[in-house]
Amino acid sequence: MHVLRFISRRIGISFLVLLGASLLMYVLTINAGDPLADLRESNSENKQNLMDQRTEIMGLNDPWYVRYWNWLFGVSKCFALQCDFGTTRNGVSVNSLLPQAAASTMRLVVLATLIAIVVGVAIGILTAIRQYSGFDYVTTFLAFLFFSLPVFWAAVLLKEYGAIRFNDWIADPLLSPGAMILWGLGLGLILQAIVGGGRKRRLYTLGITWVFVTGALFYFEAVDWFRQPALGVGVVVIAAAGAAVLVTALVTGLDNRRVLYAALTTVVVGGVSYLALMPVLDEPNWWILFGLLVLAMALSNLVGWLWGGYDKRRAMFVSSITGFIMSLLVAGDQMLSHWASFLDLKPRPISTIGSETPNFPGGFWEDVLDKGTQLILPTILLALVSIAGHSRYTRSSMLEVMGQDYVRTARAKGLSERAVITKHAFRNALIPITTIVAFDFAALIGGAVITEQVFGWKGMGAMFKQGLQQVDPPPVMAFFLVTGVAAILMNLVADIAYAYLDPRIRR
Amino acid sequence: MKIRRFGATLAVAASGALLFSACTSPADDDASSTDAASSSTETAADGPCKADLGDVTTKDDTVSYSVGEDEFLGYNSYTPETYSTYNSVVTDRMLEGFVYFGTDGTICQNDSFGSYEVVSEDPLKVKYTIADDAVWSDGTQITNADFFLDWAAQAITKDDGTPLFNHVAGTTYGEYVPDGPQGDAEGKSFELDYAKVYADWEILVSAPFPAHVVADQIGVSVADLVKAIQDKDMDVLTKAAEFWNTGWLSPTPGELPDAALIPSSGPYKFKQDGWSAGQSITLEANDKYYGQQAATKNLTFRFTAADAQVQALQNGDLNVIEPQATVDTLAQLNALGDSVTVLTGDSLTWEHLDFNFNNGDFADSLPLREAFALCVPRADIVEKLIKPINPDAEVMNAREVFPFQDTYTEVTDASYDGRYDTVDLDAAKAKVEESGVATPIKVRIGYSAPNPRRADEVALIKSSCDQAGFEVEDTGSAEFFDKDLPNGDYEVALFAWAGSGQVASGANIYKTDAPQNYGGFSNADVDAAWDTLSSTVDPAVHLEQQKVIEKLLWDNLYGIPVFAHPGVSAYDSTLSNVRRTATQSTISWNADQWVRAE
Repeated sequence: MHVLRFISRRIGISFLVLLGASLLMYVLTINAGDPLADLRESNSENKQNLMDQRTEIMGLNDPWYVRYWNWLFGVSKCFALQCDFGTTRNGVSVNSLLPQAAASTMRLVVLATLIAIVVGVAIGILTAIRQYSGFDYVTTFLAFLFFSLPVFWAAVLLKEYGAIRFNDWIADPLLSPGAMILWGLGLGLILQAIVGGGRKRRLYTLGITWVFVTGALFYFEAVDWFRQPALGVGVVVIAAAGAAVLVTALVTGLDNRRVLYAALTTVVVGGVSYLALMPVLDEPNWWILFGLLVLAMALSNLVGWLWGGYDKRRAMFVSSITGFIMSLLVAGDQMLSHWASFLDLKPRPISTIGSETPNFPGGFWEDVLDKGTQLILPTILLALVSIAGHSRYTRSSMLEVMGQDYVRTARAKGLSERAVITKHAFRNALIPITTIVAFDFAALIGGAVITEQVFGWKGMGAMFKQGLQQVDPPPVMAFFLVTGVAAILMNLVADIAYAYLDPRIRR
Repeated sequence: MKIRRFGATLAVAASGALLFSACTSPADDDASSTDAASSSTETAADGPCKADLGDVTTKDDTVSYSVGEDEFLGYNSYTPETYSTYNSVVTDRMLEGFVYFGTDGTICQNDSFGSYEVVSEDPLKVKYTIADDAVWSDGTQITNADFFLDWAAQAITKDDGTPLFNHVAGTTYGEYVPDGPQGDAEGKSFELDYAKVYADWEILVSAPFPAHVVADQIGVSVADLVKAIQDKDMDVLTKAAEFWNTGWLSPTPGELPDAALIPSSGPYKFKQDGWSAGQSITLEANDKYYGQQAATKNLTFRFTAADAQVQALQNGDLNVIEPQATVDTLAQLNALGDSVTVLTGDSLTWEHLDFNFNNGDFADSLPLREAFALCVPRADIVEKLIKPINPDAEVMNAREVFPFQDTYTEVTDASYDGRYDTVDLDAAKAKVEESGVATPIKVRIGYSAPNPRRADEVALIKSSCDQAGFEVEDTGSAEFFDKDLPNGDYEVALFAWAGSGQVASGANIYKTDAPQNYGGFSNADVDAAWDTLSSTVDPAVHLEQQKVIEKLLWDNLYGIPVFAHPGVSAYDSTLSNVRRTATQSTISWNADQWVRAE
């Protein structure tokens, strides 16, 4: 009851704030310029006619409060589920424009936000654990660099290297032996910095990575892997098994054999299913894929339950995560194996503009690849900036928690470092980050204006920008409502997540 | 029959008919305009009209082009909501009429669509004949009925006198041709009887919409629809107007009306599912087209912001672009090497300095205006600001014709002796002295800011004219057209007019009390010359009066023309037949001829 009252009060106050802000926004928008500006310089014979017609369409002769009231009245019909957001001055219904723009932006933003959260938090924790190491310094430097990156400029660079030069290269993918060795060395250096440890351990990490990567590149080169890539069931199973061991190690530790066996069994079941479902997966649709994912999760949970014994809950958790990773690997493998036919349809795979290739003729996976490759560059751009922010917040939050008395106590009572970090430190460090992540998500919906423009996506940002340029309130107000409501909801979500993560707040 | 002027920076052409009137389709080598006056004797490839490519087989290929990031709005480009270059660039490929504009603004006759001839010059009567094989893409014949509807949309008014149709051109057509087309409802030939002579009659008749679709939608036969138009049967016409106003729009981006409602009369038609909201719209070749077939099967218009176009061209996402004409853009394009062909040239928009005759020192003092004209460094402005973009640019010495048009030399020879070609500070000082106005003379140069190029122009003028006794002040502001210009808060106005393709539209600028005569210039001889020009359809008279007008405007210094705006286009070098145009039709004016070489 307490929680419900809290939530309804919050929503009530937010609604009033939103109403007041909408009035302010509306008045600011209609005073943002001259809606007839583009016609004033015209010397067409029909100039006066054009100006009169536009004045009529936009209601420019009405006083501001009448225009605002008309808009508010249309929007208030939302309570009867018959929203009317009005029309733009070009006669486009905002009711139909809004879902299109929102869908486009969501496609752009959701992936970038998820990547930013996962990678940002992971980097933050790693840098906190390895405070004042070379890895920490380098990451700090990069974080500040990306944080202050001008988006439009970075976009031009990304297009030059990520699209144009990549496309030139993929037409005839050649790597010189020197380049292969350097790639191996570079990755080896990064990995040894992350893994850390003594000098000997670092040297081993460096050496093994170097040999492995360079060797793999030689192999790829030899079989023209860059144009005809594939993993195959074997590699998928090995990679999934690796993931299973890693997840088990993080969640329960490898000593818990039941959980480890549950995860590994899930991998075996996944591998067998993959072989069996090969024909279906070659040309599926989204419903089939979704159904298979549900099935995979159910099977994983079953495996976890069967193996679990006294520790059913954690076994089911670990094996369902493993099952999920396995599913992603299978989908990724399918995508990779369609890369060759995708290249035949689209010889320059990465476009610098647009969210898709016009009139693309390919099948399901080619289509996914087409839309997916179009996401890569803008997602990298959006994610880089967010990762930089998230990693800094996580690092400082984590460092603060690691210095707390209860962490020392946990260590003192002989818990493993894994248990200290994942169970005691990390969970508490997450609390302040939740707020930031929630805010960030609300901000990203409106903050992709420049990214949308340079990459030719018509999302919320483009709708807002055009509305403002044309001094046309309906699209601007629709943008405002969506971002405003998103901010309020995300705030609420952050508060609820707080309560979940921190039992003290629940009381 | 040549060009003419303005409109202004905006991509709006003069009468609604104008640039949005049809274009396209192969013209004969010598087709250019109807009567004797036609000056075009050029060969196919060199002429301003479309080249004759001979027998074209449509190639199964796609060419991508972008005008800008603006979404496509609908089949009907003549409503106030949809009236824009971004929209007509697409619809012009699908709706054709008797004429289109050639690369220098020449009115080209679209022979495959039909022909027309002047039956009588005064009173003006014009006979139009639609080609026998001209059909809509749904197989229906293009007939007089389509032109009856076109006339009705620009002529019929409600009882209260307001137009019944939401046509951007208002009812100009109805005022000039009050009785409408004369001919059989479903015949192929009709006559227009003008109530008064109209110098720009050639572009009054625009590309028609399919009348059979309208008739079908409101449940009457085509013959009944025409009869309703002739009899002004408001019951039927109100329903027709309702469909005309809304039935061809697309309030939801990405969704076209039913394919049966939007047939094409041009080389391209809408491709099924070819419009992806916010991304692109694709047209495909119209296999029922009666003229020269489209050279490439698919034509894709992508909605791409100007600043992303160069890299998109480099990556092959776009094949033809027309980005902003700046030195930076040109440098980027040139850096791409041979794989991209860059075209630069003039456009039909020209920059000028106009004096304020309503108030201020210039209003009553011709010597002072001459002094200013003597100190404005026109050659320097063109050299420093325009030539880096268009190496062929030159100082413009006329207002009614552009340097790239045939009659330019003839007109300037007769009207201007070169006295303001170079800056002459001593002569300027002498003229200032002659005017008797005390120096320094404050000159506020107003323009619509922000505009870096105009700011640079004013700086160059200041550095020169301040030495002759003027004190130039840069008063560029965002509210220039809204406030400063109507209030007369300027001595010299710096802006541009965009060519409309009309002969007589200059009357709106130079005649006493004309709507675009912002400075309040008044000269009885100029007024008379415009009256003579407007009251005839004889191109020889038009040319003669242009010389008279230009000379009077130079002698009395209405203002000072400076240069024609430069334009930059670029295309993938594997394409052939891509040609720049100075008009606002954009480079896609002959898109049906673009084809990729093997």
